[in-house]
Amino acid sequence: MNLNRNRYGAPQTLRSMNFICNAPQAQSVCLVGDFNVWNPTRHPLRQGPDGAWSINVDLKHGHHRYAFLVDGVLTLDPRAQGITRNDKGERVSLVPVS
Amino acid sequence: MKKSAAAKRGPQPRSSKAGVERGQGGRIHPVVIYPFRQPGDNTDLEELYRLVARLDGERGKYARPITVLDRKTHYANADNRRFLEFRKDTVARHSDILDAWCVDTCQMWYTGLGQAFERGGPEDVYWLIPGDFNYGAAVGREVLGRLHDLPEICLELQQDVCIGEIATDHNNSKQLIDTYGTFALLYNWFPAEAQEIRQYTERPRSEFFAVRHGFLEDALRLRWFAYEQTVVMLLQAVFGNKPISRFFVGNISDLPEGRESLASAMQQVERTERVLKTLWRERQPHRTGWTERYRDLEEKSEQVRRTALVILENLLG
Repeated sequence: MNLNRNRYGAPQTLRSMNFICNAPQAQSVCLVGDFNVWNPTRHPLRQGPDGAWSINVDLKHGHHRYAFLVDGVLTLDPRAQGITRNDKGERVSLVPVS
Repeated sequence: MKKSAAAKRGPQPRSSKAGVERGQGGRIHPVVIYPFRQPGDNTDLEELYRLVARLDGERGKYARPITVLDRKTHYANADNRRFLEFRKDTVARHSDILDAWCVDTCQMWYTGLGQAFERGGPEDVYWLIPGDFNYGAAVGREVLGRLHDLPEICLELQQDVCIGEIATDHNNSKQLIDTYGTFALLYNWFPAEAQEIRQYTERPRSEFFAVRHGFLEDALRLRWFAYEQTVVMLLQAVFGNKPISRFFVGNISDLPEGRESLASAMQQVERTERVLKTLWRERQPHRTGWTERYRDLEEKSEQVRRTALVILENLLG
């Protein structure tokens, strides 16, 4: 899919976004999305004392597709504002950045 | 209550400064469906048209908004000075009014989206904005501030349909109709497609949505039902394996004028069944033995509808 996102967004506008994944039993959680070319090594989450995993990522203005990789399994974010599909046709989450 | 300056300014489309410049991509065509019944006061409509005025001011990103106004609404308010002034000073100022005789809201959609489509181009997106919601309340203003995400998602992520989902409590009549009526009937007539739709939304009859030009072209050329058109569009999107997105736009309740009575809820369930039956039949022309399958599904559908009506009677009656 040829995404037009950059034509519409303001590339200079970055906003820090916090992602939280509640998976206390997981061994690893990564954030994957259009913004890191779905590369699982780019944004690993850190587990907090409460067992939840989190990460802050600077994202450009616009709408971004993303998901968590929980022990390698693509997982939707239940706190996400939207749902869509990635280029592979898998259901993923949607986050707006203003 | 005295409004704050921020409240008076109303919701701001977030991406206004970084908007779509004409020539860089498609434009967004807002289509407002004016309430069939003129509300008792204009608070909600004034808030809505503050947004429409801002959209109208961003011609690079948005096409001139269209307001579809049923002639019955107009004539019912022919002596209503407040209505006539609002129409002239606000609605006509910030949008092109499309006066039309319509049998139902879905025909108002058809008329408005059809008109917008004829003004649009292949890269454009069409954004339906229902007028009969409580935009004047705090939660309504929040929703108004998020609605622009729907067409932007279509543009940015090349989605054919983006459905806006409104959160309601479990006892809300719309939620009850969808849970016990719409989805139950969908699972009967189109089980695979119903599962796909439910993966996206719990509100398949949402009136908040945006569609891309190509998909709207297909939808306009197919049979256009006079009701439950969102369900039909979602089914057509699933049949055609079109990209669908769902976006949460907030919590909102209908205006008291638009809340369902039991009779209205029953009518909506019956309409949904009628639409699904017709659509199912239309997809079977070359399949042998479809009539037998149809009778079987129809029998089950009647059971589903009756059960839904009993539940709705218990909860809304």
